[in-house]
Amino acid sequence: MGVALLGMGICGFTPTSTSLSYREMIAKAAKMAYRDAGVTIDLIDGAVSAEEDFPSGYSIADEYVPDQLGMVRKPVYTIPGDFMHAVASAAMQIETGRYDILVVESYSKASNMLTKDEMIRFAYDPIYNRFGLSPHWLAGLELNSFLSESGFTIDDVAEVVVKNRAAAIADTKSPYGDTFSIEDIINARPVAQPLTELMFAQHADGAIIAVLGTDEAARKYARKPAYFAGIGWGSGNSILERRDHSLSAGTAIAAERAYEESGIKAPQEEIDAYFVSDAYAHRQLMHLEALGLNGSPGLVVNPNGGALGGGDLFEATGGARLYEALSQLRGEAGACQVEAERVLVHAWRGVPTDSCAVAILDSERRIS
Amino acid sequence: MSNRVAVIGVGMTKFMRRAKEAPGELAAQAVRMALEDAGLSIDDIDAVTLGTAPDAFDGVHMKGEHLIAGAGGANKPYMRHFIGGATGVMSPIHGWMHVASGKYNSCMVVAEEKMSPCTPHPAGAFITIFDRVTEQPLELTLIHIFALEMARFMHVYGYSERDLAEISAMIKRNALNHPAAQIAVDITADDVLNSPVLSSPVKRLDISPTSDAAVAIIMVNERIARTLKKAPVFIEGVGFRLETAYWCARDLCYPDYVAMAARDAYKMAGVVDPARDIDFFEPYDPFDYKALHHLNALLLDKSGRTVKDLFESGNLHRDGSHPLCPSGGALGVGNPIAATGLMKIAELYFQLSGQAGKRQLQRRLRRGVAQAWGDLMQAGTVVVMGSDGASPVTKSRWNDMKPEDLPGTPIKSVDDVPNISDAPDLRYAWDNGFAISTYLDGLKKGKIRGSFDSRTNRMMVPARPFSEIADLAPVTNYFNIPDTGVVKTFTISHVNWDSSPLPKGKVNIFAVIALDGIVEDMGLVHKLGDIDPKKVKIGMRVKAVWKSESKRTGDILDIKYFAPLGRKKAKLNIEQIKPVEVDVLSMSQKLGKIPLSYRYTAGVGGSKFYTDLANGEINGTYCAERDEVMIPPAMFDEESFTMLDPEKDARTINPGSGYIRSFTVVCEDRQGDLLDKKKVLVQVEFPDVAGSIFGLLQLKDDDVFEEGSAVKLVKPKKIDGPDKVVFKLK
Repeated sequence: MGVALLGMGICGFTPTSTSLSYREMIAKAAKMAYRDAGVTIDLIDGAVSAEEDFPSGYSIADEYVPDQLGMVRKPVYTIPGDFMHAVASAAMQIETGRYDILVVESYSKASNMLTKDEMIRFAYDPIYNRFGLSPHWLAGLELNSFLSESGFTIDDVAEVVVKNRAAAIADTKSPYGDTFSIEDIINARPVAQPLTELMFAQHADGAIIAVLGTDEAARKYARKPAYFAGIGWGSGNSILERRDHSLSAGTAIAAERAYEESGIKAPQEEIDAYFVSDAYAHRQLMHLEALGLNGSPGLVVNPNGGALGGGDLFEATGGARLYEALSQLRGEAGACQVEAERVLVHAWRGVPTDSCAVAILDSERRIS
Repeated sequence: MSNRVAVIGVGMTKFMRRAKEAPGELAAQAVRMALEDAGLSIDDIDAVTLGTAPDAFDGVHMKGEHLIAGAGGANKPYMRHFIGGATGVMSPIHGWMHVASGKYNSCMVVAEEKMSPCTPHPAGAFITIFDRVTEQPLELTLIHIFALEMARFMHVYGYSERDLAEISAMIKRNALNHPAAQIAVDITADDVLNSPVLSSPVKRLDISPTSDAAVAIIMVNERIARTLKKAPVFIEGVGFRLETAYWCARDLCYPDYVAMAARDAYKMAGVVDPARDIDFFEPYDPFDYKALHHLNALLLDKSGRTVKDLFESGNLHRDGSHPLCPSGGALGVGNPIAATGLMKIAELYFQLSGQAGKRQLQRRLRRGVAQAWGDLMQAGTVVVMGSDGASPVTKSRWNDMKPEDLPGTPIKSVDDVPNISDAPDLRYAWDNGFAISTYLDGLKKGKIRGSFDSRTNRMMVPARPFSEIADLAPVTNYFNIPDTGVVKTFTISHVNWDSSPLPKGKVNIFAVIALDGIVEDMGLVHKLGDIDPKKVKIGMRVKAVWKSESKRTGDILDIKYFAPLGRKKAKLNIEQIKPVEVDVLSMSQKLGKIPLSYRYTAGVGGSKFYTDLANGEINGTYCAERDEVMIPPAMFDEESFTMLDPEKDARTINPGSGYIRSFTVVCEDRQGDLLDKKKVLVQVEFPDVAGSIFGLLQLKDDDVFEEGSAVKLVKPKKIDGPDKVVFKLK
């Protein structure tokens, strides 16, 4: 495929963001992204936003997308999915050959949503699954299923938190970098046992913008683009009663396609770093399994601290991983820098879903 | 360059005011029918994309995720797309992207809407589409904004209420031969004119009904399309555009954004003159005037003369030169928002392949256009389809389709079937940011504040910190502007935001007011007061009536209403001010909520489950394709996509034979507050049965359990939802 990531912009990444409206926050990130991509607004053909209605508090969140992107009257639509789903949709749009440069946008004002558990509970099927309980129940149950089927232990899960939050200390945009022990994680306040409150990401506010374009546009305008080698997405069964809660089928479907498009046969040998959804710590391990990395030693996973370190940004969460991946490919990741020429970005939509997306990005366009 | 993309099959449910089926079951019926129509199996489908409008209708957050299995998307690439009411025609555009990009050979495109769970009326879901700080406190809803647009459209283009009533009657009559039609009736313009006024000029029969339904189409690349028996109909052009959300900032009389989307589609399709090159038109018609409002844009004629001539000469009728909504449209077939748009795409497919039965237009058709519209008078989606010279299908089940042949079970009341009630507590505190804080600070001081965009020479109200139409250029100069202006359009409303009637004799008058000292068409929406409703006119001058200083809080309701200025002279002073300082006190938040509640039908599978549960029983559903019994009871198998009957295919399961597959001990309630006593939630499986049931585990103090522990179902005393599914250790 010939789609490139020209540049990105961010704003926020704090637990609260009182002085900025969502419009102001997004406009700031958009200006940064356009500058980074080397494009002016008139060169951009349209936008795709990744938003759901209730996190924004609007019944139709899509209405409030175009203005702060400078995309008024342009082709704009919303993907109610993760940022990486919107990236996938925008890439498809470019591959039709009818659009050259597109913007992908998402944001979180999680701090403005006062009843987040109630909202996530509202995502469950009202007939069978909407209990009068914390919506984390499915994560707790999933964790149990995963531990009993996979061979991983609760210590392994806790270690994901310890590593990611420690990595985030050095990441300039991540608010939740800190030093914990495995015991701290396991013995933290229980939420849906064995899940404790330190085993899932805390929310944060932030806006993320990406500029995608053809390879030609990247060569013409971008300072330091990255190149998509493959993108896939997939969803497991939405009927929870008939889903295997010990694995992520959605990730496996997405990865199969992304690997196929990239010509990847042995990911552990060909991919240098993995930016994988860790919204719940056990999910990072589950996703790596589904990515076919079972037991591979020495993998570089979430070197910037993932969502555990950077915050759960609702639909924007995968965008934060993409931003980290781009900065790593460019060699601009500061104290978090690892050696990476080919990276994998993975996103998951959180409970109660198993909807995921996977993208492979290269620092240079490889001719297959 | 793009691969050519064809539509090769359609499925749809009946359009119903209230369906027994759950949302996923509605979608599954449409998908199954589309597969049969195209002669394909679910395994032939590479990817699935789903369109559905606000989550607030079906009453499920992340509704697209909820609908995966029903849409045929389980264990496949699946993505939802969304542009409010314009979603239904975005659906084939998103499907087109899947195939035209070369990414996939085939794509199932599904549109579903179940509006009936939203109580007391789905219209209530629209209160939260408006800007939460500057508009929502006025308690506007969709009918008000339509009425404001309709009044403006009539004023500018010179249509009478009778003209529009004739359009309503004509389109509803077109639906008489549509098998899915919800309210096809042979009515006259007088019937429309005599129906109750809801918010002038809108009367009940000017509006389409709210509906539950699903529609599915299958899109494939040309190579596959040519191998199938049915004549393909090709996507020739697509276009979609989104206007600013500042809807008061522009004249509502003409939808430029629809015209721009149409131009994009025409350019791709090679359409030069739409009035000449397109044979029939399916614009979105949620209200009768909307069909003409959109047709003006689809014909790229802002003067409106072309459409006026076609209307006056009777050429918009189905046997005229430019048939308008031959399907019967949203007005006649029904308006399950996203599904309506896809129904219009289906009509293009039927007409262009000779499968429209009694609705078939009696001349050679080469090309048709469908369009949807949505958001805040803001979104336009347009698709042009062409027959490509393919010979019309002579034998098709669609030609003889009768209402009883279509799936879907209409019910009168949710109480006729097992149902579940729920009211989510969705509360917010919104950061206003710098510009809106400055605006609200002005209201508290009895001033309307704008900011001046020097790039476009516009005073912008409400104040904004950047120019949304001039490269996001910074805007730093803030002004107090006159609180006087001119009424651009108005409506006299007899209904509340939730569609309930106002007390007899009481009305609310909403108006869009172009404020003095700023560019024409630019202003704000508010109420009018101190005036006889009969005397309100477009063009009248009005002035804000403020609450007393001690009662003002920095809110749009600090203006009580606008009242006629009469012969008084307006003070047209514009004074620059210093905006608010950024500190934690001035950057306060605005509180808000989404005030909705829901009553869900349990669906076909769920009805069986809850009926059995009341008797302490569990039945599975036997699926021959899998040769397995499935729980919970199912109307369809999401793997093979065969339809099942939870009653006929029922297989008794011993409610005492369960065992714990997995569990969690939950310490917090639905709000995240600590529970007094932890609760155990279990996933219970049964021998030789596919699937499981989630429920709570009833425990005595000395009970010990683990994965694999044997459990039995507890017969509940009262059933009102999943919390009453309880197991205990054997």
